[in-house]
Amino acid sequence: MADVRLETDLVETKQYIVVQIGNEKYGIDINFIDNIVRMSKITRVPKVQSYFKGVMNLRGEIVPVMSIRKKMGLPDDVITDASRIIIIKLEEKGSIGIIVDEVREVITLNMAEVEKTTAKDSFINGIGKNGDELISLFEINAIVEEKEMN
Amino acid sequence: MDVSQYLEIFIDESSEHLQSLSDCIMTLEKEPDNKDTINEVFRAAHSLKGMAGTMGFKRMQHLTHDMENVFQEVRSDKISVDSAMIDLLFKCLDALDQYLENVKSSSDEGTEDNEMIIKELNDFIAKANGADVSSAPVVEAPVVAAPAAKVAESTNEVKLQLSDADKDEVAAAKEEGKHVYAITVYVNQECLLKAARAFLVFRAVEGLGQIFANHPSFQDIEDEKFDLDFSFCVASNESLDAIIAAAKDVSEIDDVVGKELTEKEAEVKVETPVPVAAPVEAPAQTASAPAPAAKASTPAQAAAPAQNQKKQTPAKSATNRTIRVDIEKLDNLMNQVSELLIAKNSLVSVSSSENGIGGNQVFRENVESLERITTNLHESVMKVRMVPIESVVNKFPRMIRDLARSLNKKMELYMTGEDTELDRTVVDQIGDPLQHLLRNSADHGLESAEVRRERGKPETGTIFLNAYQEGNNVIIQVGDDGNGIDVEAVKAKAVERGVITQDQADVMTQKEAVNLLFMPSFSMAKQITDISGRGVGLDVVKSNIEALGGDVEVKTKLGEGSTFTVRLPLTLAIIQALLVKVREELYAIALGSITSIEDIPVKDIKYVEAKEVIHLRDTVIPLVRLDRVLDVEPQEEPESLTVVIVKKGDQQAGLVVDDLIGQQEIVIKSLGKYMTGNKLISGATILGDGEVALIIDANTLM
Repeated sequence: MADVRLETDLVETKQYIVVQIGNEKYGIDINFIDNIVRMSKITRVPKVQSYFKGVMNLRGEIVPVMSIRKKMGLPDDVITDASRIIIIKLEEKGSIGIIVDEVREVITLNMAEVEKTTAKDSFINGIGKNGDELISLFEINAIVEEKEMN
Repeated sequence: MDVSQYLEIFIDESSEHLQSLSDCIMTLEKEPDNKDTINEVFRAAHSLKGMAGTMGFKRMQHLTHDMENVFQEVRSDKISVDSAMIDLLFKCLDALDQYLENVKSSSDEGTEDNEMIIKELNDFIAKANGADVSSAPVVEAPVVAAPAAKVAESTNEVKLQLSDADKDEVAAAKEEGKHVYAITVYVNQECLLKAARAFLVFRAVEGLGQIFANHPSFQDIEDEKFDLDFSFCVASNESLDAIIAAAKDVSEIDDVVGKELTEKEAEVKVETPVPVAAPVEAPAQTASAPAPAAKASTPAQAAAPAQNQKKQTPAKSATNRTIRVDIEKLDNLMNQVSELLIAKNSLVSVSSSENGIGGNQVFRENVESLERITTNLHESVMKVRMVPIESVVNKFPRMIRDLARSLNKKMELYMTGEDTELDRTVVDQIGDPLQHLLRNSADHGLESAEVRRERGKPETGTIFLNAYQEGNNVIIQVGDDGNGIDVEAVKAKAVERGVITQDQADVMTQKEAVNLLFMPSFSMAKQITDISGRGVGLDVVKSNIEALGGDVEVKTKLGEGSTFTVRLPLTLAIIQALLVKVREELYAIALGSITSIEDIPVKDIKYVEAKEVIHLRDTVIPLVRLDRVLDVEPQEEPESLTVVIVKKGDQQAGLVVDDLIGQQEIVIKSLGKYMTGNKLISGATILGDGEVALIIDANTLM
């Protein structure tokens, strides 16, 4: 963290990984990302929240995998060669995998230029601009919380 | 150096001392004249005071000091132990416990002065001494006198050789008008952390003066490179006695001797450095000169600590061969052994497959030997994690005593098997449920003395806690010889609350009725008391125990008492399991809960209340279709079903599976905190080929 702060002394910037989900591009704060892995076998777990696809074996650890599409009320995932699982690690609750259609690139956003959104029950907390593209920035805590968009 | 690194030692040792104080006071209550116990109490309080003082916890020190004064009075037969005093002492212990809790959570003792308790303590002493104010100092005197007397007896001497540089420092300090003392500290030979003790001594002395000329060097002391004694010079304005007393306040210090260095000595040694010993020895005796007087005046007190020390020695040496390890390190080790086990399992699956290198004889033999080694390694690691339940149950005698008072009943707790060992994680969590059960026995179980007399039972009720190992389980029984559970009353209450209907109640077996007690919000107390009866009792006990992978059963006989039997798994992390297949999915069922596996023709399935059952060896067993419970795609019914019979206590169920894969050692992994609402799946495991299998908790299917 210390070295991150060093660069941000002048202008506050954050790095995001840009992923494609449906037609939209989303940014995930790189500080939360533990790993990005290819699709692997997901074992279904019965009787849990419907947006969970199941659990996977991530190098000897059991990690729950969720469908962010399902959580956001989008059509179900279509798994292709480009599909990836983003492993997000939170101090308190541990690791969780999120299925995305594609991982595009890593971008650095100047926080001053990010348009903040404060809508309730939203999974994003801001919109960043990368060239002429708009990137919706995920609010990680909202994603892992136990609510679902209808 | 800073004192915080010794905080952990302080916390551990203080808890030990508090526990031993609690035990001793319990004994004192029964045998108020037991001199050994009084001495033991005194010693523990004294050590506690010393440690608290060194760590700078003044309030704690103050309270223990006043407690010690009371013990001192008891020891010198000025007052006798009565129940009011025992109550007060327990109050002190609770207050000290609170300080310790504060220290644990915030590294600080907090701001509660406990003035009330201190005042009560002092009132006690005042009472003992009548109105005679002049006797107050007597309380203090023996404390100081006793250690002083020991100096006189000891043959310990000051051993310190000064280098030229040191002598210059002596001279310099002298010029400043300070006294310079040579001090040698003798550490108790049972002491486990000599370096820490040395540090505490230095810290205590540093408050009074400046330390130099350590022997051995500071570094060596810190690395524990010294035998049982170490020496140093201190330049100070204080008296020698003050410095010695400060050093002695540190626990596990046997003796401290010292002498003042004169300028002449420093100089003489410059010229003749060889015969150092001679001048050093002589003043050592002078240092102890004032002591005999003290000894003569209080011979009894002087003898007491010596006796104590002797008594303490054999008990302490038992702990000598242990080390403290951070639980995280153990967890880490455990995880790695688990990984190794998974790797081994995958090798086994390669070797048993027919193609490839699996056919090689040598390979197979090696895999077998690897299997043996990993199994042994796993067992060893498991053993390391095992701790006796003692640390949990030794609080109970005190609790029962307090309960007896507040409930106004006579009762006695008998415990066996405190040395029974369980996995650390289980031990940490078993305290609350057991406490609940004991409270339950004390409050609901036992009758009042009058009722007991009428019923021809001894007035003092018996509560027992027996722990023992049975196969892969540890059994803890908690019970009483009280009233037992009135099954009819339970049923009536359940009907009244609408939990069951009258018809259901009529056909209920005794066992089923007793199990009603474990339902949420079902309290049997006719009158809500502080102790229990808020309706958050047995259901919490049950869920806590089940969370640990155990179960609880009750046996009761009206008028004769009841017994709760808690069954806990020895280990949590690795179990033997049966792998089964439901369609294409793999599931693991703990072998411990499986009684048998049966092939049941579909035509043998019977129906009871529209539920499928099978009739097996004279028992009717309900069938559980795993595919339905697990929301798996249905399939066409085969002619015969593979049924895994599982049990929980004396309940049974038959789980219908598609196929059996085999028995395997599996490592239990949690599903994490994100997934909720699933009680049926207790975790997951990774198989040899990297596949994930979910673990079915058969208990939830009964």
